[in-house]
Amino acid sequence: MQIQVKCSCGEGNCPEWAIVELQGVVEAQPSFVDRIQNLQIGVLCRPSSQENYTFTVGYHELTGSKVTLKKPILVLKKIKLQDKEEESEGDVSSTRVELDVIGVIRHKILFKTRPKALISSKDTSDHICKVLSMLISTICQRKSYCTKFRCATLIGSSCVNDKPDGCELYEDLKARPDDLKR
Amino acid sequence: MDIIHPQAGCSGGAEAVLGLQSNSSISIAYHPLFGPHDDLMLLELDEKLLPEILHQRVTLRGQPDEDAVLCTSSKTYAVKFVGTSNSVFLIPPSDKVSELCDKKNDDSMVVASVIKVAPGCMELVEVAPKLDKLKLLLSQNPYSFSEASEMDFSEERNKTKIGLYRWYDLVERLQASDEELKLGLQSLSAVEIDGYWRILDDKYMNGILNMLLHNVILNDWSINALNEDDVLGTLETDGFPRNIAKHCLQVYCSKVDEGDGVSCKWKLEERRVCGHLAREILKEGKMKMEIFMEKWTRKFPDGMHASFDILEGEVLTEKLGVETWVYSFSLSSLPSTPAERFAILFRERPKWEWKDLQPYVRDLRVPGLSSEGLLLKYTRRTQPTMGAEPVFSAR
Repeated sequence: MQIQVKCSCGEGNCPEWAIVELQGVVEAQPSFVDRIQNLQIGVLCRPSSQENYTFTVGYHELTGSKVTLKKPILVLKKIKLQDKEEESEGDVSSTRVELDVIGVIRHKILFKTRPKALISSKDTSDHICKVLSMLISTICQRKSYCTKFRCATLIGSSCVNDKPDGCELYEDLKARPDDLKR
Repeated sequence: MDIIHPQAGCSGGAEAVLGLQSNSSISIAYHPLFGPHDDLMLLELDEKLLPEILHQRVTLRGQPDEDAVLCTSSKTYAVKFVGTSNSVFLIPPSDKVSELCDKKNDDSMVVASVIKVAPGCMELVEVAPKLDKLKLLLSQNPYSFSEASEMDFSEERNKTKIGLYRWYDLVERLQASDEELKLGLQSLSAVEIDGYWRILDDKYMNGILNMLLHNVILNDWSINALNEDDVLGTLETDGFPRNIAKHCLQVYCSKVDEGDGVSCKWKLEERRVCGHLAREILKEGKMKMEIFMEKWTRKFPDGMHASFDILEGEVLTEKLGVETWVYSFSLSSLPSTPAERFAILFRERPKWEWKDLQPYVRDLRVPGLSSEGLLLKYTRRTQPTMGAEPVFSAR
């Protein structure tokens, strides 16, 4: 039995695919598990001109970099073809399988550090995805504060609270001044 | 199913990820057609194999119950699947890049879509071709005198194609690259007859060689300068088809010169001819050395001088009392995979000296393993005393 490997995209024209790789598993909230198509997983940022990247999934922030693969990876698609054999003796299968090279991967964005938790109790329910790291057994203790209103809202997005007094978490933290100083 | 179809909005695809500028962000989302996509696979391979793939010279070969191997035109690789516990998000390129995206307003972000989370990747490991099956297949129906003399090509005859294999049939059944398969056929002295690859049975091979040697004597030919046309001509009149006669020349002789338009010259290869003669003599069983040497040398054509050493890899000797006996033990009858080869060698003899062992192991090929490595892996080396010959036994 032979399976031909072919490349229908023409020599040297194989489109480049990308991989974003992280440790752990991304889970959608239970109500969305059956219809995750089109759902946002997270936001990929490149903060500077270096090849460093952050990937924010839910309230977790991952840091990583773009890596050039030592060996390229081909993306293959299995194709089943109906064949008509001209001289058939006995049992001759009429389906042929081919592998088509539809892409090549030379770089990936790899995240291999522990996620940093950006906690906001209000925002977690707004986010549909959360990252469960298989390496983490305790939640990261650092809190990143929004400098505008000094509440623990996700850095980079606009704070949903207009008034500092209205920030529930701030009220909560006022009672524990040591946490604020961290 | 077109998985590169852009979704509604601003689709950037793989280009958006790989070309992400400094101080920018993009959204990573599940593709509208996100799913398991079991027909999509990842294969890691060396840059130098890419041209082979792009020129359609690569196939996967094997029976449904065998592990798949990937064959280029000259090499064979085992395919291994390596799983990962990481989440590998696969992002295809987008169809329609950027024009749309350049006009994006500040609120919307370019989206790169993940079509699949890959469970792992396939890797290639170079392996020796699996050609033992070739001998098995071709031995099912060796070409013989009875078949050669049959002039009847009736319908019945043509229908029973058991044990008959064309090149394509062999390719479908064996896990080896085209070049390796060709070399395998050569090492079996197989010949293509009527489009089928055949090995000639012992009687037939013996018959044609004897006819050749007989003609050498009859016509007083020089064994170092046999004229191709003369040889083929006489063999044909003796009843051997020309292509088989040519094959006989290729098996037992080597070309001396091309002959520029004039017929080529060939010379008898001592090792191959004497090896065959020895095998014929020892067919019935082992023999005392003196008797063997007498019978063997008597069969030599004029001008051929060979010593017993030429038979390394063909025969073994054993001492019974004061006498030395010789018996047939041919490399060509041994399996090509190291584990099986060593098993049979040590079953034949528990201990081997290197000079006896070498002819039976020097053809073993395992990519990535040197011959020392092979010995280390499959044998135990002992040295009875300092300065004595090392002895190899089973592990």
